[in-house]
Amino acid sequence: MTFTRSTTCMFILLSALGPRLLQAQAVTAEGIVERVNRVMSPASIYCRAKMTITTTSGETRTFVYDSWSKNHGEKNLIRYLEPVRSRDQATLMLNHADDIWMYFPRTGRVRKLATHARRQKMEGSDFSYEDMGSGDTFVDDFTPAIVREETMRDSLCWLIELTRKPDADISYSRCLMWVTKGSYVPLVIDYYPENDPQTAEKRLIQKRITLVSTYPTAMEMVMRNLGDNTETVMEILDISYDLDLPDSMFTERELKR
Amino acid sequence: MRETFLKKIADLHIRRTGFMLAAIVLITLFFAAMASRLTVTMRWSDLLPANDKRTVEFNRIIDEFNTATSFTVVVQGPTTTIKRFADELAPALLQARVENGGDTVSVLSRVDYRAETGFLRDHGLMLVKEKDLADAEEIYTDPRLTSLLANINGSLEKVYVGRSESISTREKEDQAVTMLDGISTLIAALDSASSGVRPTPAAARTAVDGLLFGDPYLISYDKSTLILNAIPTFPATEIGLVMAGTEALQAVLDEQLAAYPGVRAGLTGMMPISHDEMVYSEQSLGYTSLIAFVAILILLIVTLRMWVAPVFAMGNLLIGIIWAVGITALAVGQLNIMTQMMMVILLGLGIDFSIHIISGFTERRAAGDSITAALEDTLQKSGKGVITGGLTTAFAFLTMVISSSRGMKEMGLVTGLGLLAVLCSTFLVLPAFLVLRERRRDSRRGGGTGNQDISFRFLGSAGLFLASRKWLSLSAAVLLTLLMAWQASRIGFDQNYMNIEPAGLTSITLQDTVLAKFDLSMDYALISAGSVEESRQLSGACRDLGSVAMTEDISIYLPSPGQQEKRRPCLRRIRRAMEAAPLPARFTDRDLPALTGEIERLEMNIMEMQDMAFNGGQDKVERACRTLVGTPLAGTPPNRIAALIETLNGKRRTAAAGIDAFQGAFSPLFKTSVLRMANTAPLVLADLPVSILDRYSNEDRSRFLITVFPSGSIWQDASFLHRFADDLERVSPRATGMPPVFRALIEVIGKDGQRAMMLTLGIVFLLLLADFRNIRHAIMAIIPLAAGVVWMVGLMKLTGQQFTVLNVMGLPMILGIGIDDGVHVVHRWVSEGKADIFRVFASTGKAILLTTLTTMLAFGSLIFSIWRGFGQLGAALFVGVGACFLTTVLFLAAFMGFAGNRR
Repeated sequence: MTFTRSTTCMFILLSALGPRLLQAQAVTAEGIVERVNRVMSPASIYCRAKMTITTTSGETRTFVYDSWSKNHGEKNLIRYLEPVRSRDQATLMLNHADDIWMYFPRTGRVRKLATHARRQKMEGSDFSYEDMGSGDTFVDDFTPAIVREETMRDSLCWLIELTRKPDADISYSRCLMWVTKGSYVPLVIDYYPENDPQTAEKRLIQKRITLVSTYPTAMEMVMRNLGDNTETVMEILDISYDLDLPDSMFTERELKR
Repeated sequence: MRETFLKKIADLHIRRTGFMLAAIVLITLFFAAMASRLTVTMRWSDLLPANDKRTVEFNRIIDEFNTATSFTVVVQGPTTTIKRFADELAPALLQARVENGGDTVSVLSRVDYRAETGFLRDHGLMLVKEKDLADAEEIYTDPRLTSLLANINGSLEKVYVGRSESISTREKEDQAVTMLDGISTLIAALDSASSGVRPTPAAARTAVDGLLFGDPYLISYDKSTLILNAIPTFPATEIGLVMAGTEALQAVLDEQLAAYPGVRAGLTGMMPISHDEMVYSEQSLGYTSLIAFVAILILLIVTLRMWVAPVFAMGNLLIGIIWAVGITALAVGQLNIMTQMMMVILLGLGIDFSIHIISGFTERRAAGDSITAALEDTLQKSGKGVITGGLTTAFAFLTMVISSSRGMKEMGLVTGLGLLAVLCSTFLVLPAFLVLRERRRDSRRGGGTGNQDISFRFLGSAGLFLASRKWLSLSAAVLLTLLMAWQASRIGFDQNYMNIEPAGLTSITLQDTVLAKFDLSMDYALISAGSVEESRQLSGACRDLGSVAMTEDISIYLPSPGQQEKRRPCLRRIRRAMEAAPLPARFTDRDLPALTGEIERLEMNIMEMQDMAFNGGQDKVERACRTLVGTPLAGTPPNRIAALIETLNGKRRTAAAGIDAFQGAFSPLFKTSVLRMANTAPLVLADLPVSILDRYSNEDRSRFLITVFPSGSIWQDASFLHRFADDLERVSPRATGMPPVFRALIEVIGKDGQRAMMLTLGIVFLLLLADFRNIRHAIMAIIPLAAGVVWMVGLMKLTGQQFTVLNVMGLPMILGIGIDDGVHVVHRWVSEGKADIFRVFASTGKAILLTTLTTMLAFGSLIFSIWRGFGQLGAALFVGVGACFLTTVLFLAAFMGFAGNRR
């Protein structure tokens, strides 16, 4: 669950690349993806977000939580605010989510999650850890190519095809990414599964791109699972970048605060 | 030639009236005998082309696998009551018998409502996947209560709390719920024992079974609904047995329900649904036909201002319909979902012929013609139009036989032939009635006609008005047509089957109950396999699809030799550990702290599991946890584990004594059960019990059935239906069942509809050309039809209708129906020397208005059908027939104005 919430920060960062840094670069597929990749690792972020999931009974459930991220996403802390049932539950992720702890206020216990679930569909949501593109995955695991330029949602975009490198440890065979030419924000990313490179499995849609400080930020993200016919919506309620977050925030003791 | 033929017909009726009536009686008796042999099918697959692979496979599966079409009994009520109800009902259902060819046969071969506990006791752990077995291994290593609870906690912490993804799939969520149910049974037993209730061997058995393989009943997640699968002795293709069998089972069910006032139960599944759809369709079409019949009769009596002629018209129509049904029985032998409506269609269209003949005849009699002259003149003038209109409509329907779908093909054939039959009866029966009636009137009055002019003068005036303002009329007609075309372009296609199926049938409502309570759609797909291995492979491939929630097949109960080999080491470890584990010594209050500690740990683990499930949206797991530990919110179920802890900490001596007694019964049983379940012997097909074999394989065990449940609603979202069907098609081209069949039907009907429309339009135009022998007249007659179709679709959109697989058939149908108005008006206009526009609209206009109203009444009556799909087709044609009348008057009056010969 907590991974799910943490993706908010990742996606915010995804769209937060300072356009000024990009102007001087030559336009190549590698260059574009490099720029897109950089937005995933800003120094620090705080955000308050709202996420709506569809439960297995078909009902919708909305969560509000605070999330902090430090060291370019290496450390993450998420704390639930709503609904009342989940209030004060918290998740700590260290080492780019390789180590995860969860705090349950009802029992007062902190538990370390044993399994690395990078490829799993995260609880209740249509996001998986890979969908975050955490770290340098788009650069390290895929070979990019510019397919063409085309308009997506009224913005001129590069359509980038990312094809999985032979030895890459990633479940998607390829991705298609529509990156806005002005701000290098990916408006849409289609994910194609390993066993069927022709049929998109999921689609991420970034909406309401707003400039926050100097970062263009998607204030709403929708992940559609085209196979399961479900979708998860994340909405940013508040966000700030480049904060001075102490390391002590990201400890097991702090989880119980 | 046509004139000579019609004259001969008139002569026959005048000179040989008695002979004609006798011949009619004989022909009618013959066709009535034929009609009695007609059967009905309600299967959607019977609408697809007979050689369609999905149809062929579906029919093969329901023929080979009786379990594919079982009766499902859904029972709702308090948990313990519905279990008792099921225990009593199952043997009673097995006693149900029906007549079959003079013999009395059993309806059911078996009733499945409990898991095969015997088989699970012998081989249960061999059926658990290697990884799950490794995760749960420790649970099976020590029979002592405190150790067992410690091991359960260890497993929970490792599997459910330690791994966020452990309950992220349907299969895993179900496993988690089963485990929680087992824990719940154990907690209940411990609570009872520690409260001082003396434990019974049965209570110990329930607790052991609950932990080892869950609740044996096919019961819903919330324990309020239970299912019994009753396997018939006959396939679904035996319609007579399906009908009688359903009624026999319903009688047994009703009898038992009388003894259980707190229980609700009903039948669902393919056979009961077929039964209900057939019974209610017949009833529904019966009363809609009656509504149409009475409404048409009243309309004719009021508008024609006489009652005898309308009664003759309806009598003639009934005879024509009997002939039509007899011909249908000879031509196709069986009515399907679509062709069932033929009676209502023939009522609406067949009456038109009589109206034209009666209208012409009474007009001529009113004008002072003798009976002979009036009949000859009517058959020569109106008869030609009736023949052209009738043939055009009949051939328009008959063009639908080029369709690849059986639904549309048979609809075209049955309705086309039916119309020809009614057309024949109109010329062979009605004139004889009219002649008899007029002779009787003459003899009473001593000569003279006495008939009044019943033409519609207002229509004549309207036609004259429109013709005199030809530019205005034409502009208005074109403008309105463009507006309707714009509306028509925006109409959608509703692919939701739920919106066309009958409303309010218990068997159909219970499908929704099964979906809500068991999270299982009864609209599943079926795949057959030639071997267990193929079944395993196909089932696995389906489970990998995002559009699939779960699959059921024989491989669940028969792991491959390779899988068995991998599981054996774990089973051996379990056996060794369990054999070495001592049975517990006496449990005293000194042992209570350790036990209580483990129960407290269990409470926390379940609370954490519940919190993760709540955040993850896994409602079934969350609810299962809730029955054990409640929730932090007020007004939720009590925390049963906390209550147990309180009991254990309260009267410690009583609690310890109770636990000791319970452990004394539970632990040895748990030990022997685990040792028996951890059977390492090879498991082969022959080891499976008959109930499992029957469920998943055919009689000679050469083919195996895989049931594939969709992960979403295939009806709420058309794109998901396509995706699910496409996914299955990729896994196996043999995939069939309701989702693939319905998807195919949408495609086939769509293509057939387009082809039939184009061909119908071509044939109608050629027939008009042959009839008028004048291309301008043919074009004149067909333009209102083309505009009428556009108006129909536009008006459908404006009245909130959408196309469905049933009402899309209305498009080629309206081409055949709507052309009549133009044909009759142009015929009359030509026969009046293109001069008397007032007369054309006052007389023929009256006839086409009446035929329009009668057809609208007939199709409109379908709106009252229990089949919402029939209602949708009725509504579409209601609008279409009205639209064609309006376009005929508007366009043809303007065209006549341009012809410049109005008076």
